[in-house]
Amino acid sequence: MILRDFFDKLKPNFSKGGRFEKLSSTFEAFESFAFTPNTVTGGKVGAAYKGSHIRDAVDLKRTIITVVIALLPALLFGMWNIGHQTATYYGLDWGFWHQWWFGFLRMLPIIVVCYIVGLGIEFLFAEIRHEEVSEGFIGTGLIISMIVPVTVPLWQLALAVAFAVVIGKEVFGGSGYNFLNPALVARAFLFFSYPSHMSGDSVWVAAPFHFTGDVVTGATPLGLLSGGASIYNSQFTIHNLFIGTIPGSTCETSVIAILLGALLLLATGIASWRIMLSVVLGGGLMGLLFNAIGANEYMQVPFYYHFLMGGFAFGCVFMATDPVTAAQTNCGKWIYGFLIGAFAVLLRVLNPAYPEGMMLAILLMNCFSPLIDHCVVARNIKRRQKRWATAERRTA
Amino acid sequence: MNTTIIKEGLDICIPGTAERRVSDMRLTGCFAVKPTDYVGIKPRLLVAEGDPVLAGTPLFEDKGNAAARFTSPVSGTVKAVVRGDKRALLSVVVEADNEQKSIQFSTSASTADKLRKTMIESGLWTMLRQRPFGIIPQADAKPKAVFISAFDSSPLPVDIPFMLDGREQDFQAGIDILHTIAGTVHLSLQGGKDNGFLEKVQNVEIHHFQGPHPAGLTGTQIARIDPINKGETVWTINAQDVATIGQLFNTGHYCPQRMVALCGPVVGNPQYYRTLSGASVAELTKQTTFKELHEPLSDFRLISGNVLSGTAIAKDGFISAECDKVSVIPEGNYYDFMGWLRPNFRKFSLSRTFLSGVLSKFKIQNSKLDFDTCKHGSDRPLFVTGEFEKLVPLDIYPMQLIKACIVGDIELMENLGIYEVEPEDLALCEFADTSKTEIQAIIRNGLEKIRKELGL
Repeated sequence: MILRDFFDKLKPNFSKGGRFEKLSSTFEAFESFAFTPNTVTGGKVGAAYKGSHIRDAVDLKRTIITVVIALLPALLFGMWNIGHQTATYYGLDWGFWHQWWFGFLRMLPIIVVCYIVGLGIEFLFAEIRHEEVSEGFIGTGLIISMIVPVTVPLWQLALAVAFAVVIGKEVFGGSGYNFLNPALVARAFLFFSYPSHMSGDSVWVAAPFHFTGDVVTGATPLGLLSGGASIYNSQFTIHNLFIGTIPGSTCETSVIAILLGALLLLATGIASWRIMLSVVLGGGLMGLLFNAIGANEYMQVPFYYHFLMGGFAFGCVFMATDPVTAAQTNCGKWIYGFLIGAFAVLLRVLNPAYPEGMMLAILLMNCFSPLIDHCVVARNIKRRQKRWATAERRTA
Repeated sequence: MNTTIIKEGLDICIPGTAERRVSDMRLTGCFAVKPTDYVGIKPRLLVAEGDPVLAGTPLFEDKGNAAARFTSPVSGTVKAVVRGDKRALLSVVVEADNEQKSIQFSTSASTADKLRKTMIESGLWTMLRQRPFGIIPQADAKPKAVFISAFDSSPLPVDIPFMLDGREQDFQAGIDILHTIAGTVHLSLQGGKDNGFLEKVQNVEIHHFQGPHPAGLTGTQIARIDPINKGETVWTINAQDVATIGQLFNTGHYCPQRMVALCGPVVGNPQYYRTLSGASVAELTKQTTFKELHEPLSDFRLISGNVLSGTAIAKDGFISAECDKVSVIPEGNYYDFMGWLRPNFRKFSLSRTFLSGVLSKFKIQNSKLDFDTCKHGSDRPLFVTGEFEKLVPLDIYPMQLIKACIVGDIELMENLGIYEVEPEDLALCEFADTSKTEIQAIIRNGLEKIRKELGL
């Protein structure tokens, strides 16, 4: 095969002692992208080895690419919705493809910036550490681009991505060692550093290219509610919220597109159904509780609206389920998910300064997931120690 | 009859299971005893190249444990003393003289102490494994119980009742000896299957287990019957070795007879062979033909033991001590173009990201699944969670235990149940791990760290 020969020819240059030895991680990343490596169990053929000689065909690349595929419906819908919102708010007569193309052109620089900055830093760290480049950022980068407002200044985005990758991940050792979801670290960085570009009513609808007039504002349902307004009698019908034809972050508005992704993640077993279900349960129960209190307009919003508004669905499916930062025990996953859902709704309703409670709820629970696991595992330890004590008494 | 049903686990159906057909091997050629088959021994060589030996003549012993004397399985001459790095003893090879003369051991012993002495002198003692740590017990060790599994659930399973067929009296005698020297003996059989004479063995507590691998591992069975607590020890022993013990006390001769299955997808006629412990694998492979390998496969690997926790052996190597099958699978040293993206019907995966995995979920098994030694990916930090729990029928948290072993926190390892596992008990986790971590080596290192700390 020509491509294989090409890699084989180049390989000596990038191996130890070769001319481009310093770029070996980069070469490896591209080679293993094209070809699953030929390594065998035990290192090499003929090596003395005791252990499992056969391995499951799955690897991390396969896992991450499944997540990326699951993101695609939301991404494609989001592109169309960007154009759709612009056309609606600016009163433009654009057809379907025109709307999609406009959204694509607005999304492209965002995605490119995310990947170039993030992957650039990942490759750099891999070379310095003499490690292989982890594929984790392929998913993270795309997720970051999907949860920012379409009008985000690219330099701010670049800074946020750099912060997320370096402080959120690499200082802890890279993919698999981080304790906060890097995509949310980027989102939180933007939210707290540049609040005027990340919230309010003027950031959710992109102006058409070459537009010089006043920016049209388009509020999100969460923005309206946290401002004390009502969302009824507006465009925010259940139908619109579910389909996602509303202003919002680039690709997180469409619940139905996200559900398609969720379906793939659950069918393939990549994401934990325990977490997804418990997030919905937690959010729903908290919503019901507020319905029962009903002290203000926001509390009276039917509980199921919370699933449809803002980043609840997206966070539940794609970010709460990140295995590295979630609780790791099955029992812990229930607690972790439930609290994310509950806190997300709690923050939304009770703290109008943070309209998007989901992001903060997930980051908060990321911090607590080791503690949750610790408590779950402690029960197992206690049970074992009790057994030891009984055995000791028996022999004594 | 109570049968314990094991739910967690996985049966990996690799084609090429041995048929119930036996060939007797002639006891010619070379046999080897390998210190590397045992955990934590420091061998002291007792013979030199060219020395004549009888079956039962000690070849080397463990400096740290006087009870561990390793004896020649055959009579003949010491052909080679193989050493590796830093002159570490790798194996002692004996060329058989085809006469199989054995030292005459005393069989009149009746007290437990005398029985132990004979077992140590003849080398039978080295067939015992002490958990935790999987070591050979000391001469005066008093275990809580002895556990024997006559149920192989690992890939390419062997039929242990069939392998013991014809050794009824020896097996019973072996059980009696173990009962005398160690007390309680537990024998675990496969539920819902005809286990022949094993159902009627005396002086044992018989248990039945049913379910996917690792239902047949002693680790799983101990956890269900009488779990190991801190400070306790139990012994395990291979079912065939029980018969060998009985045979010595019935005849006075040391003859570590062993039925070995030669099996796997590339073996032309997978079947059983009757030979001795330490047999040359080349003699076995001579007996069969191998199927032709197609591109991109070009070579195969011989594994002494099962494919999940066995030892790779060279084509001119020797089967290891506890081996009851030699599994042969193709080497997977090929590149797979865009392997992370293609749907793939033929690669086995627990993950439903592969179509083969999806089909197996709907009970549609592809009989043409490829099994080879390819790692199918690169090493990564532990990433995916929830993979292991479905595969481990023990009351432990595998991921947390593995991490405790990696960081070497002894107290945490103890608390998380390291004493209840041997590496083989977590072999399925190693198989399934997305991050391709060598989990069994990690568990072994954890166990060794504790063992050294305890000075055992």
